[in-house]
Amino acid sequence: MDSASDAPIKSLRPADREPNIAAGLQQVSATEARLSSVTLKDSSSRDGEDRVPSNGSLPADFYDAGEEIEAEDEEAPPSVAAAPEGSFEGDIAWRDGQGMDGEAPPSPSSSGYAGERGSSGDSSGIVEESDGSGGVSQVDWDKGKQRLHENMQDDASVSWRKRKKHFIILSHSGKPIYSRYGDEHKLAGFAATLQAIISFVENGRDRLKCVRAGKHQVVFLVKGPIYLVCICCTEEPYESLREQLELLYGQMLLILTKSIDRCFEKNPKFDMTPLLGGTEAVFSSLIHSFGWNPATFLHAYTCLPLAYSTRQAAGAILQDVADSGVLFAILMCKHKVISLVGAQKATLHPDDMLLLANFILSSESFRTSESFSPICLPRYNPMAFLYAYVQYLDVDTYLTLLSTNSDAFYHLKDCRIRIESVLVKSNVLNEVQRSIMEGGMHVEDLPVDSSLRSGSASNHLGMGRSEPVLVPQSGSGGPAGLWHFIYRSINLDQYVSSEFSSPLNNFSQHKRLYRAYQRLYASMHDQQTGPHKTQYKRDEDYVLFCWITQDFELYAAFDPLADKAQAIKTCNRVCQWVRDLENEIFLFGGSPFSW
Amino acid sequence: MGCASSFPGKNVGRSGSLNGEQTVANDPKNIRVKLVLLGDSGVGKSCIVLRFVRGQFDPTSKVTVGASFLSQTIALQDSTTVKFEIWDTAGQERYAALAPLYYRGAAVAVVVYDITSPDSFLKAQYWVKELQKHGSPDIVMALVGNKADLHENRKVSAQDAMEYAEKNGMFFIETSAKTADNINQLFEGTGIYLYRNKTQLSWITCNNRPKCRSCICCYEVP
Ligand SMILES: Nc1nc2c(ncn2[C@@H]2O[C@H](COP(=O)(O)OP(=O)(O)OP(=O)(O)O)[C@@H](O)[C@H]2O)c(=O)[nH]1
Ligand SMILES: [Mg+2]
Repeated sequence: MDSASDAPIKSLRPADREPNIAAGLQQVSATEARLSSVTLKDSSSRDGEDRVPSNGSLPADFYDAGEEIEAEDEEAPPSVAAAPEGSFEGDIAWRDGQGMDGEAPPSPSSSGYAGERGSSGDSSGIVEESDGSGGVSQVDWDKGKQRLHENMQDDASVSWRKRKKHFIILSHSGKPIYSRYGDEHKLAGFAATLQAIISFVENGRDRLKCVRAGKHQVVFLVKGPIYLVCICCTEEPYESLREQLELLYGQMLLILTKSIDRCFEKNPKFDMTPLLGGTEAVFSSLIHSFGWNPATFLHAYTCLPLAYSTRQAAGAILQDVADSGVLFAILMCKHKVISLVGAQKATLHPDDMLLLANFILSSESFRTSESFSPICLPRYNPMAFLYAYVQYLDVDTYLTLLSTNSDAFYHLKDCRIRIESVLVKSNVLNEVQRSIMEGGMHVEDLPVDSSLRSGSASNHLGMGRSEPVLVPQSGSGGPAGLWHFIYRSINLDQYVSSEFSSPLNNFSQHKRLYRAYQRLYASMHDQQTGPHKTQYKRDEDYVLFCWITQDFELYAAFDPLADKAQAIKTCNRVCQWVRDLENEIFLFGGSPFSW
Repeated sequence: MGCASSFPGKNVGRSGSLNGEQTVANDPKNIRVKLVLLGDSGVGKSCIVLRFVRGQFDPTSKVTVGASFLSQTIALQDSTTVKFEIWDTAGQERYAALAPLYYRGAAVAVVVYDITSPDSFLKAQYWVKELQKHGSPDIVMALVGNKADLHENRKVSAQDAMEYAEKNGMFFIETSAKTADNINQLFEGTGIYLYRNKTQLSWITCNNRPKCRSCICCYEVP
């Protein structure tokens, strides 16, 4: 049974990865040791799971505020400027390695799953031993740490670098729910410790937001009975990581709704993992998209570029079915919107679209046949399921029809048949394929001075590229050293991003640029110092420029040697260019307020 | 292989009256049958359907979300056609509560387990009980032991399954979506079954076994 369908899932986490969770969590395990020495003295409580850390006193050094310790900063130190702070006054820091000199291992609260006992040692580096009573289990910290230490020292440091970012979801009783790397069940001990940390602070009516240790950040998000944790050394701003945790939580709600909270009310030790069976790909694909999909931090969606009339034709037929009782009709091509329509007054939040698209694209079974499935749009209504009819119209293009009615299948199927025939007749699907081939806006095509051009023909995407394009600046991007840009329309909740071109050639370069944009976004939207209107920043990788007005936000990356005045001029031209093309790159009428 | 199932054409001749609620159409020559597959995740429900509908087997698992809808028409020997409208449900636990949505109004319920997994056989029994309690009283149930190609790892004996099926008035067959063994027989079997007069549905209690050879049970339970 399970074994068979689990096969590909298992392949997502081959055994050789598992030691790395331990490595990745090394810093935290020091806290674990420290914290457990606080919380677990209370061994009079027999039940390991229920034990909430007694609100006793922290060890004197726990609050070592301000003492930034750079235990093993072989790499560049983190940008301290962006260091977020929790409710603590200052950063919490600890000396890594302090706990390694054989201090008596305290027994942390453990989930005490019968099935996990002793099974975790080899892979997670945490060895649990049970005394057989099912109550207290003991963690062999020393052994675990030794292994961690080994990992840090030799070959594993390579894979250590590969595992820069962990996401863990656990319940308020410390039961693991999800972990990006490693088997969440084998993390029972570790999850229990995270739980102890969070509860400890929550019990003090405080909220733990973030812990920093050297170049590591641990970001926490508490959602009722569900705790989400990110541990990383990627130097992303706290706000970005927190939003990523929010999306992760949203993805979980999309699958289960918020009514899952009730299960925890009935039974605090409720084990949620079976309810998320078979969804690993959904979460890992979402986490992956944090590195490449700007929608994850812009909170906006993007459209597939299409001639205005083509998008209109698609929109008209979708509107038709929306009027017949369909809540949302969404036609998408991979992550890009072709058209979407909501029933009266119903608006779709860009985050919901992101989560829905991620869910559909990462669940292979939707590609095999038409499907009907309950899903929840957390921003629309986190408590209720909607019923989604999903059908792929070609390899990339899929139609999603959402209804509040669980009996709507045959109606939605009829709607799909109507829509599909209209789309075929009006050639929309072919146009979609053509657009995929041609791509969107290329910085090389940025018009020299669009104010000089009044002819509409040249204002179309893809035009002009039929002739050889004169590329200024010797093949490295567009004019004035422009490499890339993202334009976000505030009113439309949409963004358009230029295609990547030389010298941004590979995924890691794209990811690095997105991380830079993300930092820019976070600093521009900083609640304390912002919001800002413009920012111009030069580092060894790029010149970054950000410009925010009431109507739009522009993020642009230039060659690090670009001239500032030229760059600013170019940004103006980009904005003009986007406005010239807005009928093709944006969807109008997507939300009732956008007219 | 536990048992083969074949149905002679002569049994097909009698036209059956089908419950209009259960099947969409009632044309005696063109029957539409709503069929639902239930069973634990990973037992091979989707593979069975895709083998039947598209003649394919894809060993990479694609966990079903909610339920998939597929249809396939087969011709019986007397040129009667049976169009199956198939709900391939997700076996994942979170969808269990949704099952009535799909089995409501189904004429046939195919309950699948994996012959290498006793747990999946228990889950199958859970579904049978659920259908007996909440399904349409006329629903035709088939018990299917899939992955018969993995017989070296067999953990559920055909004998046990057959006895269970008999006790619960079910049609039993072992299949392999991988080798295509008995896949068509499974669907043909249910098709013929439905096609026959409703009164024949008590076949499992046939008194003339094992020599009868004129009703389905006696063909498919050797
Ligand atoms: N050896 C063998 N493997 C099979 C057979 N049928 C299915 N499988 C394998 O079993 C796994 C699960 O099959 P699915 O058809 O996806 O299972 P399912 O019952 O639809 O699972 P859910 O959609 O989660 O309910 C796949 O990896 C198949 O390769 C079979 O007859 N023989
Ligand atoms: Mg399936």
